[in-house]
Amino acid sequence: MLETVAQAVINGLLIGGIYALVSIGVTLIFGVVKIVNFAQGEFVMIGMYLSFYLATQFGIDPIVSLVVTMPVLFVVGVLVQHFLIRRVLGPNDMPQIFLTFALSLLLLNLALMLFSANYRTVHTSYSDEAFHLGGLYIPVAKLIAFVVAMILSGALWVFLHTTDLGKAMRAASQNRDVATLMGINPNRVFCVALGIALALAGAAGSLLMPFYSAYPFVGQVFVLMAFVAVVLGTLGNVIGALIASLMMGIAESLGIQYVGADSGLIVVFGMLLLTLAFKPNGLGGGRVR
Amino acid sequence: MDKARRWAVAAGAVLAVIVLILPLVVTSSFALDIFIRILLFSFIGVAWNLMGGYAKQLSLGHAAYFGLGAYTSTILQIDFGISPWIGMVAGGVVAMLASLPIGWLCFRLRGPYFTIATIATAQALMLIFLKFRDFAWGAEGTTIPNLGNAPLMMQFEVKWAYYYVALGLLAIGLAITYAIEKSWMGYYLVAIGEDEDAAEAIGVNAPSMKRNIYMISAFLTALAGTFYIQYIYFIDPPTAFSFNISIEAALVSIVGGIGTLWGPVIGTILLETTSTLLQSWLGSSIGGLQLTVYALILMAVILWRPTGLMGMISEIYRRRHPARAKA
Repeated sequence: MLETVAQAVINGLLIGGIYALVSIGVTLIFGVVKIVNFAQGEFVMIGMYLSFYLATQFGIDPIVSLVVTMPVLFVVGVLVQHFLIRRVLGPNDMPQIFLTFALSLLLLNLALMLFSANYRTVHTSYSDEAFHLGGLYIPVAKLIAFVVAMILSGALWVFLHTTDLGKAMRAASQNRDVATLMGINPNRVFCVALGIALALAGAAGSLLMPFYSAYPFVGQVFVLMAFVAVVLGTLGNVIGALIASLMMGIAESLGIQYVGADSGLIVVFGMLLLTLAFKPNGLGGGRVR
Repeated sequence: MDKARRWAVAAGAVLAVIVLILPLVVTSSFALDIFIRILLFSFIGVAWNLMGGYAKQLSLGHAAYFGLGAYTSTILQIDFGISPWIGMVAGGVVAMLASLPIGWLCFRLRGPYFTIATIATAQALMLIFLKFRDFAWGAEGTTIPNLGNAPLMMQFEVKWAYYYVALGLLAIGLAITYAIEKSWMGYYLVAIGEDEDAAEAIGVNAPSMKRNIYMISAFLTALAGTFYIQYIYFIDPPTAFSFNISIEAALVSIVGGIGTLWGPVIGTILLETTSTLLQSWLGSSIGGLQLTVYALILMAVILWRPTGLMGMISEIYRRRHPARAKA
């Protein structure tokens, strides 16, 4: 009994690390640029396909392909900010919501046209390996993904708190107008925020590849998780999103264990609706009264 | 009446006559099918636009009400033998009642987080209908028993009959929108859409206004759900609660012109025509093509014409008649 619970918690915690990478990206963009990126999941999908093709065409291990996916998606993020998002920043909600939504729709359906709806997997030497700790089972691929995810999150925290650019980003997220008066160039800061957020999504894609299938809709699972985690962890708060993501992973895993294999999403939506019903003020930047 | 107005009335009358006699002239079932889709999605867009366009409550969860309407009338028809005409209204009432708790939850949030909450509620409803198979056929869904020509059960052997039902629905939707637009409620809604806090400060009861318009919008969307299921003779959760319904409701309104009477209609005509042309040129086998093109159109509208096609039309009108526009 206790062992089953412990196993479910471990499974949840390990996948929670991936959720954290996606959520931190969403919360970073919301904190700094004040928009919700509906397309964040599609960038995880792009990261997965990039890793998939690097692995099948050039034999590069998916984890190693991080060094390609992260810079590529960083550049994509800068371009998305500079050519798309910059043009809709203003007091009006509609263009902001529907621009990133349209981007998500576009990327998803382009992927459907280019790659078809088939599931793609990469089999690595460690895909089936696992540690046994007492009666517990810890898959190596998921453990690597979790550890790298935590290292990247930690690196982001250090970046935000020690570098000038990081401090500028935090200043911009606290008060954009004052930050601008202090000589911070908002578009530059926004570009970096989008770049980092998308690089994290790309990293999540690469880390998923050894144990998860790539398909055009794959991002939707992760982005829904991220939205809930970001709401739970107070919008714009990196540490909050990290902790909430790990909690979400554990909750989902316990839901699958005790409610049924197909109830992961029901648990997620249930958590979102319960949060809204009983703890709407935990939603920090959600502009809740 | 000045000259321009006389022209507008004449053009409107000609258009109305064309729309009314269209199915008598065009008898190809392929073309009729497209016209029916245009009428139906215009109607769904009109229902969405009441809340999303005027009050700027940008929902992406209207599939919830489409599905509830569809399931209510189907359950009433198959389990109790009640005509879908009655089931349609019953479905509307169910959707209206469902909008109260859903609204209570979602209206706690504003902006993008309201949108996400509406997506979650619609998806949650779909999962419920998928999971509980005993009360609504679960994931398998069911076909609607074909009774041949039974107008009282909303079943027709001729396609043009469906055309007129859809046209009737759209006319009701437009009439309600027109009435609301011209009433105090319309002004209140626009005020809420512009700036909710400011609207409240000058005495608009925003929570009650939003609740009321959400109920009307949900009611109308549910009517579309019943009609659609009767038209395709099949229901299952992914069809009835399809996320694409939620997307298209918002899309046609934004492309056509958010918060305008005719915006959703013009938007639907543009999008559906584009999608039909694409399919006939490239074949319907390319999955994802339609939504790729829709997404590109949506992005183009947002980046260059946030007021949609209606905004473009009124701009051209103003440029040609600068004096009248000032008055």
